[in-house]
Amino acid sequence: MKKAFFPHLALVLASFILLAAAVLPAGACVGKTLVIGSTGTVQQDILAQLLSILISERTGTSVKVQRFDSSAAAHASLLKAELDLYVEYTGVGQVEILHGAAIADPEALYQAVKDAYNQDLNLVWLKPIGFDEPRVAPAGVTAQAAPVVRKDTLKKFPALARLINKLGGAIDASAMQRLEAKAAGENIAAVARQFLKDGQLI
Amino acid sequence: MAPWKANVPNRPRTGGRSIERDAMNRGQPLASVLLLTCLLLVSGGCQGRGAKNLLILHSPVITEAVVWSGEVRISGVATVKKEGRLTILPGTRVVFSKIDLDGDGIGDSELLVEGELLARGTAEAPIVFTSGAAKPKKADWKYLYLDFARRAELSWVVSEYAYSGVQIHFCQARIVDSTFRYNVDGVRFSTVKLELAGNRIHDNSHGLRYEERGSTAHIHHNEIRDNEIGIFVVTRGDDKAVIEGNNIVGSLAYSVKLGLEQQGDVTLPGNWWGNSDPEAVASTFFDRRFDSSLGTVRAPEPLAAPVSIETWHLHQGDHL
Repeated sequence: MKKAFFPHLALVLASFILLAAAVLPAGACVGKTLVIGSTGTVQQDILAQLLSILISERTGTSVKVQRFDSSAAAHASLLKAELDLYVEYTGVGQVEILHGAAIADPEALYQAVKDAYNQDLNLVWLKPIGFDEPRVAPAGVTAQAAPVVRKDTLKKFPALARLINKLGGAIDASAMQRLEAKAAGENIAAVARQFLKDGQLI
Repeated sequence: MAPWKANVPNRPRTGGRSIERDAMNRGQPLASVLLLTCLLLVSGGCQGRGAKNLLILHSPVITEAVVWSGEVRISGVATVKKEGRLTILPGTRVVFSKIDLDGDGIGDSELLVEGELLARGTAEAPIVFTSGAAKPKKADWKYLYLDFARRAELSWVVSEYAYSGVQIHFCQARIVDSTFRYNVDGVRFSTVKLELAGNRIHDNSHGLRYEERGSTAHIHHNEIRDNEIGIFVVTRGDDKAVIEGNNIVGSLAYSVKLGLEQQGDVTLPGNWWGNSDPEAVASTFFDRRFDSSLGTVRAPEPLAAPVSIETWHLHQGDHL
């Protein structure tokens, strides 16, 4: 009885697998879904939602937010083209990702990671958002937050850099603190949406 | 169309296969039962409706004249090829299984039309395209997609819980007296020759969304209400689409929004906006007033009262 059952089971499983494979999307006019990363803190979740809502509202592009447990994991996903962009901190990029020496001057640091990512990794640092995040800075490094985007993604969405750069300098340290405080008691997406509406960005 | 096909609508000749029939013909009861159970689960079946004329299809490919009636459950992509013609009879329910294998949050099931689609319901017996999910929501299935279709006529159709209730690209289509609701995009088009009239487009994220790209579109006598955005003009608009004599009301965010790259102006004359004060109407537009790189939305001669959308028959084809 058992022996007779296995061919039937194999048939069932094979049919099921074939069915699953055949319903893969045919590629069509919902366009590519952009994937935006968050490294899991409240601040990161807010930034990911800000980007997600800004992009989907202004361009109609479908966007999905994916959480990671570290910058290293998000970075690895960028390199594998499984992620399109996330907000990184310059100090983390220089020390933890590039394994470079700490650079104390914020502008020199930003330029150093921007150049290295562009030349060596095909990744683009866009304009800093406007605040530093000392909590994630390796010793001796001041960390500015800025979106990092795959170069291929910017080629597919030529207007994306211009749009994301509307957030450049838009959130200073006190504004970020207010957003984090609000997010403690409200839906993060709602907090992000209201910020964008108040700034007439959406 | 051969007459017998209309008489036996639940046994179409398609490139796909009837799952029920295939499974039962194997003569291996245990495997058949298990297989049928798996497929019904995937297809969103087992809903206990007891529907008659039930047809369950997985990714069917239609290459000749086919008629659907009763309830048709689809998993995967149903394709009407260039040489095919799909006629859907009044009262038919086309139910799309909720499948999202790539995890992008948008269902994968769809109806893709490259040939002919004739979906003519009636007021009493509309044709319904809907989700097979137990608790349906937006984007459960992908869309009714008219792409280079040879012919497309939809009347008295209800399309709901899709990413797009209908998308029309690179073809001529006429869509009238229909309802598009609970979708991300109610009606979406680009590069078309389109008449859209007498429709109710409501409770979508975007009621009407388009990239004009040389389209000849006459959009009139529609009720576009209670959407997040009434009309989303994404890009490539040269102000050639004629959008007039509609009721565009109750939009939750903006009645008209220009996409990031829509730099040209957009004119929507003679519509009812729920208010005939030009300044109040303009305050519901997202355009140059928010972003100086965008065009301006103009709404000349706003109507002082709602349009009776049932009168569209008097105006059909005016601009085509």
